[in-house]
Amino acid sequence: MSESLVGLVVDEVEFEVERGKVGEFAKATFVRDPVHTDANAARDAGFGSVLAAPTHVVVAGHQRDQRALVDRLGVALERVVVGSVKWRYARPLQVGDALRGVRRVVGDERREGKRGGSMRLITLETEYTDVLGGTVVTQRETLIEKGIQ
Amino acid sequence: MRPPVTAAVGDHLPVREIGPLTQTDIVRFAGAGGDFNPLHHDPEFAREAGFATPIAMGQLQAGILAGWLSDWCGVEHLREYEVRFMAAVLPGDVLELSGEVVAITENGVHSEAQLTLAASRGSDPVVTARATVIVRS
Repeated sequence: MSESLVGLVVDEVEFEVERGKVGEFAKATFVRDPVHTDANAARDAGFGSVLAAPTHVVVAGHQRDQRALVDRLGVALERVVVGSVKWRYARPLQVGDALRGVRRVVGDERREGKRGGSMRLITLETEYTDVLGGTVVTQRETLIEKGIQ
Repeated sequence: MRPPVTAAVGDHLPVREIGPLTQTDIVRFAGAGGDFNPLHHDPEFAREAGFATPIAMGQLQAGILAGWLSDWCGVEHLREYEVRFMAAVLPGDVLELSGEVVAITENGVHSEAQLTLAASRGSDPVVTARATVIVRS
């Protein structure tokens, strides 16, 4: 019934990597390395400002609308689970970075389930670029919609 | 930049235990990351979805495992990190974080280690992961 959504832009976010949020996110994920909280530690590590924790771009969630995403993809929220997420890093995120993230559908396929019915696998990719247009981090997530008749 | 960590195939990362996780830990991550799905803070909503209590968002355990890895290797040396979600995490759960270097490749410029990682509750992994990290071999 539904056509492949590959190529569709599902949302766009823009945010700055802020020191307070970096510390909050690091604490929330139990990260201990002082480069995430202490400017001197970051400088000793060779960076001009505090570094963000590895999955910091998750804070884009503050600007995203889960309901709108689900509607755009044409999936039933109660049948959707996130199967996997992958991050690829060109460099660490630093306080002062201004990022823009465009999220696109890069995969949309159906697979037959083992016990009848089928599932739909939707892969979304967000490329986060800095003000110079360079890619800093790419996040790829695979959503699984189960129990499609 | 800090020098990469020294690693060899078969090395195990120092295990870390996190928890017992609390509802407060889940709420703290909701505020940090911006995930306000009621499944993670509203007991009634969670019950209707079939869970005894609100559950942690997968990104909490994914972020815990990633941060433990970067505490070891330095976040500037992390190249790739991929997680798979295996089971729901609830308040009261204790997670054991573990990882192993399974391969090392040289590309002429530096050495890259491939790792397999897991966050487990008892013997059951709740998140499994693989990562690529720059190391000194």
